[in-house]
Amino acid sequence: MKKYTLFTIFFTVTLFSFAQEKSKMSVLEEVIVLADKKLVKNSNGYKIHRLSDSVITRNIKSFSSLLRFNSPIYLREYGAGGTSTASFRGTSASNTAVIWNGININSVNNGQTGFNSLTVNLVDAIDVRSGGGSIEYGSGAIGGTVHLNDYLNFKPKETIKHQVVANAGSFSTYNSLYKFNLSNEKLSLKFGISYNESENNYKLLGTKLKNANGAYDNLSLNVGFAYKFSNKSQLKFYSTNYSGKRSLSGELPNPRSANDKYKDFNNRNLVIYNYKKEILNHELKLAFLTQEYQYFDNKNVEDYSFGKSKRYLINYTLGYKIPSIKAKVTSYSEYETIFGKTDMIQEKNRKQFSQSIIYHQNIYNKVFFDAKIRKDFNSDYNVPYSFAFGLKANTFKNFNVRLNSSKNYRVPTYNDLYWPGQGNLNLVAETAMQGELGIGFKNSKIKADLGVFYISAKNKIVWTPNGNPDKPGVWSPINLSNVNNKGVEFVFSYSNNFDKNFVDFNFNYSYTEAKNKRTDTFLIFVPKHLLNGNLSYSYKRFGLFFQQVFTGMTYTTESNSKDFVIPHFFVSNIGGDFKILKQHQKQLSIGFKVNNVFNKLYITQPRRPMPNRNFNININYKF
Amino acid sequence: MKINKLFTLILVLGAIIFTSCSDDNTPDLPKGDYDKGILISGEGSGSTGSISYVSNDLTTNENLIYKKVNNSELGTFLQSIAFDDDSAYIIVDNQNTITAVDRYSFTKKGEITSNLETPRYMVVSNDKGYVTNWGTTEGFVAVFDMNSYSFIKKITISTGPERILEKNGKLYVSHKGGNGSNNVISVIDILTDDVQEIIVNDKPDEMFFNNSGNLVVLSEGKAAWTKDETLASISKIDLNDNSVTKMEFKDGEHPSLMVFDNNIIYYNLGSKVYKMNTSETSLSSIEFLTIELFTTGYSEFYGMEVKDNKLYALSTRFSDLSELKVFNLIDNSEIKTIEAPIGASKIYFNN
Repeated sequence: MKKYTLFTIFFTVTLFSFAQEKSKMSVLEEVIVLADKKLVKNSNGYKIHRLSDSVITRNIKSFSSLLRFNSPIYLREYGAGGTSTASFRGTSASNTAVIWNGININSVNNGQTGFNSLTVNLVDAIDVRSGGGSIEYGSGAIGGTVHLNDYLNFKPKETIKHQVVANAGSFSTYNSLYKFNLSNEKLSLKFGISYNESENNYKLLGTKLKNANGAYDNLSLNVGFAYKFSNKSQLKFYSTNYSGKRSLSGELPNPRSANDKYKDFNNRNLVIYNYKKEILNHELKLAFLTQEYQYFDNKNVEDYSFGKSKRYLINYTLGYKIPSIKAKVTSYSEYETIFGKTDMIQEKNRKQFSQSIIYHQNIYNKVFFDAKIRKDFNSDYNVPYSFAFGLKANTFKNFNVRLNSSKNYRVPTYNDLYWPGQGNLNLVAETAMQGELGIGFKNSKIKADLGVFYISAKNKIVWTPNGNPDKPGVWSPINLSNVNNKGVEFVFSYSNNFDKNFVDFNFNYSYTEAKNKRTDTFLIFVPKHLLNGNLSYSYKRFGLFFQQVFTGMTYTTESNSKDFVIPHFFVSNIGGDFKILKQHQKQLSIGFKVNNVFNKLYITQPRRPMPNRNFNININYKF
Repeated sequence: MKINKLFTLILVLGAIIFTSCSDDNTPDLPKGDYDKGILISGEGSGSTGSISYVSNDLTTNENLIYKKVNNSELGTFLQSIAFDDDSAYIIVDNQNTITAVDRYSFTKKGEITSNLETPRYMVVSNDKGYVTNWGTTEGFVAVFDMNSYSFIKKITISTGPERILEKNGKLYVSHKGGNGSNNVISVIDILTDDVQEIIVNDKPDEMFFNNSGNLVVLSEGKAAWTKDETLASISKIDLNDNSVTKMEFKDGEHPSLMVFDNNIIYYNLGSKVYKMNTSETSLSSIEFLTIELFTTGYSEFYGMEVKDNKLYALSTRFSDLSELKVFNLIDNSEIKTIEAPIGASKIYFNN
């Protein structure tokens, strides 16, 4: 399952982010530069959960398990390390958008992101924002968005930092990364490389068999660069490259029958130039992204099917401040052209222009709200208007109230539209209306948020065997179902220091009911209950942590037949570390982790047991 | 749910002794005894392939019988079941697995998990099993000793082999073409492994021997969306000289199911059923039955069988349980609708 590397600051997420916030306030001279300002500035009324780099390295082995143990997202994995899809608030896999430095990177071919075909080890922070975000992030931002953010920083004194993490564990699993960072007043440069591999031949609990054909390896390289021309203008550049190879493991009863293989390559580049004055603020973004996958039906044969896409994107943002009423109007204009093809689909070019306007106002530092509207013009189909409203009000003492409401969309993918003989050119975009209301509490030790949400989605694109009456028996996609999701989410974190004994606890619980309006049955693969928690304890140089996840039962048939369900499961991990070096300039720690410590059989996909109890050790060196 | 074998034996003996003198309308078949009934196999999709049992009098039915007896799932996609005297062989192509069970109790007897590459259909003759496989680059028939489930040999044939029948020491294989298309019927001499090919229309699938000893084959033809549409046909092959007489369908018509009972051929066009006498030389143009599906758009007419003046049709869903619809062929009235497996595809009479 997952491995983790050790983390220097053995605090958990929240503490770490508290610490970060404090250091930002007290050490004024350090400036953190973000590529995606929208996430911070336009999320009033939304819940954002941040996973810091120490949490990321704890679950270094897989993005899926990182999210499973630390976010309210339900992940379905076709065996550990296999194809993995996310469901956020009971929505479908194509309704969770993955955002890299502000750019939506869901595939144009299938509208999704495979959560095991990304390595996030090099990412500085992952933010999980619950709720719709089509205004800011376009198609697929319906259930929520997962943000992969790189940090760059300027420092008054030139500093050079290195970090090396090495991790070895059961099933011949090795993860390693190296990060380099140079910062001074004008320049910030970052470089990272990460290599991961695993035989992944874990025991399939409850059988005599092992996971077969599950090996994987991947390599990623990240580069980040920021240059400050003056206090008014900056240039930033981000680039990431990923190359991965996976065998796709077989399922019971005969896992050895599997012999397919999957390769994927991603390259993403982004340049941002901004120029900021008192009243006006300009920002220009250029991005170029490529994605490619190759699927080998039989890894011993050189024959494969593929999908490729190239995306060019240009975005101009103009911000206008109205200081007298503490308001700001921002306009985002974006033009994107995508070239996509597969072995079955000739290259198609999709062009899209979108214009959004966001109005933000701060009323007496008590109430903050955003009103947003967006219109897209797309060469393939009509996209409806989107709009959103978010508000946060600081009420008495440490309480705040937040609410948001939005209309979001998910456009048909290339496969939906063009798959030979099956694609349907008459599809329209899925749309979803949603609302959310929450109450938050925050003091120096406790952070809590309780919220309720409601999503009403219509025209969901569903592939059915008789989608097209002219082609009986041919599977094709149609705008078919309308779905209502409602739920309650509770987030709680607590951290405290008792005379060198540091304790940190955080937990997520969500209750979700997602129902198909026509059949009045629950959607498949949506657990009603999801709970995860992390507890950490540290004393001087020692740290220990415990992770727990509970996932409720899920149905796998439309009629909710009890004969076809995925049972609920509890899975726990424990880990710890010891700091050998604890200086300001050098930190060295060694750590261990035991995944699935109680050796529980659990599945997220029928006939695909997840890994048995497994171990790993790690070294984390920063200098 | 495993039933004590002795108990089963007592029940079976009891059933045999009492059937003769019982005209009770509600034979109370003990669970775990799947004799004297209809087996429906479902391919599954995301869910496991499975087998449902329906009693001959249509009064009792049970889903997931293999899982209930053996406490394990068969996996996706259950393609077909082959039978010999007392065993049933369940062929799951995505798992490259053939599971042998007692055909009356469904207790697992063994399995074949190697030398198979997308296995499709099997025929058993003289204790040998002949399995058609799509293979990776070329189709083949894998031959197994069915007493020990051990591999004997492989006979390479044309691409995308599907159904397989045996008659007078020869194997007949229809080559639908796997993921593509093919137009061949292979004739394999069991003694010499010699393979001869007969050309028919594209995508031959269902086959049977009619009463005159001819091989009757349904070729679906390539669909319009392939941009290379070809005609479907029902061909009769004279086994003496392998000569082919074909009756072609109209442009745009692509039948996908054909069964034979009592000298009558039944085939479909979409959800409509047509019938003709096997001696006729032209296709019937009068539909005599329309299979009302679940709800338009959600299911497909995906399997059919005829026996004793009853037509059994599968209204199949892949995301959920399917339906078996039973019609009385005397007045074409629908007798009953019964639950069937997810992705229901084949119907077998287990008598």
